[in-house]
Amino acid sequence: MRTRALLVAAGVLLMGYAVAGALADPDLSPGGVLIFLAGVLVGHDAVWMAVLSAAGATISRYVPEERRPAVRTAAISAAAISFVALPLTPGLGRSAGDLALVLVLIAGAALLTFVPRRKDSERPRCSRSGGRGR
Amino acid sequence: MVRHTDTPLTGGAVLFRSRLRSVRLTSLLGVALGVTFVVCFMTGLLSHLVQHPPDWFRWPSRPVGLYRFTQGLHVATGLATVPLLGAKLWSVYPRLFAWPPIRSFGHAAGRAGVAVLVAASLFQVVGGVLNIAHWYAPMPFFFTAGHYWVAWLMAGAILAHVGVQLPVVRAALSRAAREADADAVSRRGLLAGVAAAAGLITLTTVGQTVRPLAGLAVLAPRRPDAGPQGVPVNRTADQADVRARALDPSYRLKVTGPGGHADLDLAALHALTRHTAELPIACVEGWSATGRWSGVRLRDLVTLVGGDPERASVEVESLEPAGRYRTSTVAAEHVRDPLTLIALLLDGEPLHLDHGFPARLIAPNRPGVLQTKWLARITVRGLA
Repeated sequence: MRTRALLVAAGVLLMGYAVAGALADPDLSPGGVLIFLAGVLVGHDAVWMAVLSAAGATISRYVPEERRPAVRTAAISAAAISFVALPLTPGLGRSAGDLALVLVLIAGAALLTFVPRRKDSERPRCSRSGGRGR
Repeated sequence: MVRHTDTPLTGGAVLFRSRLRSVRLTSLLGVALGVTFVVCFMTGLLSHLVQHPPDWFRWPSRPVGLYRFTQGLHVATGLATVPLLGAKLWSVYPRLFAWPPIRSFGHAAGRAGVAVLVAASLFQVVGGVLNIAHWYAPMPFFFTAGHYWVAWLMAGAILAHVGVQLPVVRAALSRAAREADADAVSRRGLLAGVAAAAGLITLTTVGQTVRPLAGLAVLAPRRPDAGPQGVPVNRTADQADVRARALDPSYRLKVTGPGGHADLDLAALHALTRHTAELPIACVEGWSATGRWSGVRLRDLVTLVGGDPERASVEVESLEPAGRYRTSTVAAEHVRDPLTLIALLLDGEPLHLDHGFPARLIAPNRPGVLQTKWLARITVRGLA
């Protein structure tokens, strides 16, 4: 209990140090930092997670159970690579010399997600596999 | 925004029915994430200290590639964190919809703490990715300062979070919990997927600093061999608005010290004893590239104007009319190092304008932003 209390106290102190330091830093606009903090939080919870949940539900519904681990791996890789690659696209972050290859990688990983699709008649029943979510 | 893992799902949270989610999975991901965050925090703090050294801090000039390693590790680890953080937040996402949202003051404080942790973690990872892509428009603040202070915020939030969740994590990672885990196999598959994503990102980016993997660095913003004279450039002469001044035939490097001063034109600089060193440019953004630089030892110029090369520190100033990095201080450790050069040549050829023609600083174990280009003035001072 004492260790936990010390950890929490140290954490609160460090957060206080961060806030005080940020407010005193002439190079920093605290308002801009707050906007970005709120933006990434809302963007993640309201947009990114909604897309991810939809993708997960799609996998659970259409992909046979034995193939789900591979499909999930491909989907996770596609999502993570897309996140890293997005800022590299022209007009956003830089003029990407390797954009074509980047897009091929993303598309390939995304494609893998849907290749092992079953026919509608072979879909797992919701009461068993469907109930597992993704 | 609350993602406590020690309470049963209630309210809207029950809509998320994946059996892959578990306290054990969250704990495993949390431990892995903790390791990557510690690596990023320590290497980032080190980089900050090197660039803004307090009086007590000394940064050695050797090993030559130490900063290259620590900053390369910082960026590589930060990128590998992307899938880890995504999976960790996914694993606790249903808790966001737990009902009632606030049960007590302590519960509310806990939720607020977790919200700070999640926002700060996303801030660091998203901001870091945007930074290495040079995409600053979405960030309404000076990236370096924001990244630094939010790192402290995140470190504090992590400590508090660990303090709150410690018993839950211990129980979840115990042997008994592992043996009782009926879905361990499928969860291992998920963890393998996250590890594969982290590995793939690392493999396709780390070549920006690990030369043998350069061919695989399709996601890296920079390649170590792409740029004038085979070395990358972050800030060009035109971006720095120095083209006319750098190419002016009346250019002089002004060197001032305790024993006098010298105005050296290009011919005079080339007439001084020339030395060659193989040194890396190691950018704070994680890329690095080695060049074969030739020029005058900084310590020789210090001696030329009556300074003590064993004890002096030096301030170097660029031709740039403005900018955060138009001047930098070279501490005594680097001044006395014979590898620290005022470079005039790269691979035997005059410096490309974008590499700092007519003269630039190149020193061992120093961040790229402090390797001042287009030198105009060198001022020798006392002890660093």
